[in-house]
Amino acid sequence: MSSPLDLNLRDQAAAVAAGEVSPAELLDAALARIEARNPALNAVVETFPERSREMAAAAIEGPLRGVPVVIKDEWPLPWRAQRFGAAELMAPAVPGESGPYRALRDAGATIVGVGNMHELGAGSTGAVSYYGPCRNPWDVERCPGGSSSGPAASVAARLVAGAVGADGVGSVRFPAAYCGLTGLKPTFGRSAMEGHHMAPVTTTIVSGPLCADAGDCRLLGSVLCGEELAAGDAAGLRIGVVSDAVSEDVTPAVRDACEAAVEALRAETGGEILEVPLPDLGAAALAAILTINGESLSGTTPQQLNRLHPEISPVARGTLKYRMLLPAAATVQASRVRTMMRRRLAALFEQVDVLAWPTVPAPAPPLEAPVVELPSGTLPADQANVRGAGLANLAGTPAISVPAGLTAERLPVALQLQAAWGRDELLLDAAEALERANGRRWVESWPPLAEAGAAL
Amino acid sequence: MESAAPLDEFLPAGLASLGIEADEVDLAVIAAVHRFFWPAILELLALDTSEVEPERCPDLSKAPQ
Repeated sequence: MSSPLDLNLRDQAAAVAAGEVSPAELLDAALARIEARNPALNAVVETFPERSREMAAAAIEGPLRGVPVVIKDEWPLPWRAQRFGAAELMAPAVPGESGPYRALRDAGATIVGVGNMHELGAGSTGAVSYYGPCRNPWDVERCPGGSSSGPAASVAARLVAGAVGADGVGSVRFPAAYCGLTGLKPTFGRSAMEGHHMAPVTTTIVSGPLCADAGDCRLLGSVLCGEELAAGDAAGLRIGVVSDAVSEDVTPAVRDACEAAVEALRAETGGEILEVPLPDLGAAALAAILTINGESLSGTTPQQLNRLHPEISPVARGTLKYRMLLPAAATVQASRVRTMMRRRLAALFEQVDVLAWPTVPAPAPPLEAPVVELPSGTLPADQANVRGAGLANLAGTPAISVPAGLTAERLPVALQLQAAWGRDELLLDAAEALERANGRRWVESWPPLAEAGAAL
Repeated sequence: MESAAPLDEFLPAGLASLGIEADEVDLAVIAAVHRFFWPAILELLALDTSEVEPERCPDLSKAPQ
């Protein structure tokens, strides 16, 4: 073992519990690794060694005692207000004890740094941030995914074994997919959200874990949810697949890997694959965007928009202003589509246990040109990615992105699984079944800079 | 995309009516975002949801009643 940081999250916790490594030693190792590897990635935008040392020294005997974790720049900490990846948050931001902070502290974890994120959470690539773009450890010229870009890149580079992100329209699942990780979007309302600047109004955003595998997501997810996400059995899993752009307008590498993963999952669980109807997924994705946009407007005034910080990016500046022009009729229609899709899903989850389709239609695009080449043509990655992600946020259902392969260029490919409300545990069970089916090949694949034995 | 072109003229006027200032860069971005979103919004509005009975105060953590 080259470093305790090369252990997964639960083994780091076990090593601390067994006295094999101390919280202070793990923290020092994480800080040293951040110093060594982060300059190439820009995944961690701030460390606070003294605060972290205080947390490590005071760590209680919790399930994550002494384990370093990165938290997205979306959550206030007692010593730091969140910046939301932006020069200006558009909402009051003050230091404080956010829900995820309390959950981590009360589990004994050590917050070692703040993870970069796509500016204002408004992008699936991580290419735009006040701190500069975050880079994908698998290829530093490519997008890490967003908006939880830094948390994902931190885990993929093994700066830490677990990180906390947030998912309003796919923002945990996109970076999990691009970085070859497992990322859980819990059922709405199940995970800690206190202290988030949109907590009083959001109906889509949840906190969620980003880790190497489902076992680690189960551990960190249990901490964030404040209850054990108990391991069960995915035997006889009924897997629903749909004939839609989310499954079909994808690159051949993604299609092949995800079809193989679905078949492997069926075989491992002794289950069945059922083709099911689920029309209007495009409308559902747009409805999710309109919903989160509308909710984010609750604290925005024309006067604020006339005095935006000069370092807000031109894209964010224009998008913020455009939101003010969106017709109320579209927001009302989005609400009706939400109801329609929730009812369809409720009926569908009587027939199947999970729905499966690719998390993203193409592997991570270049940072310089975040577009993807699909059978339908060239699309901005944001436009292509949201198609398969918005439904879970709109409906409130849980979803998970699991590694499903590597392309010939060694870029990760991912499968998304979705389940009925409150069945987060089943998603973790299914993800573990898929890991067993492929011999844990994909969850134990690391980019060269993070392979065991790499410097630091 | 054709349906977006005439509405581009609405953008500066709409912003001005709300008292929102926009320079050339802002307007170029807004027009691009509009061309991206507007056709999809029109499709959304064209979707027949007349049979959808509204869900009153939905609990997003649970299946609909």
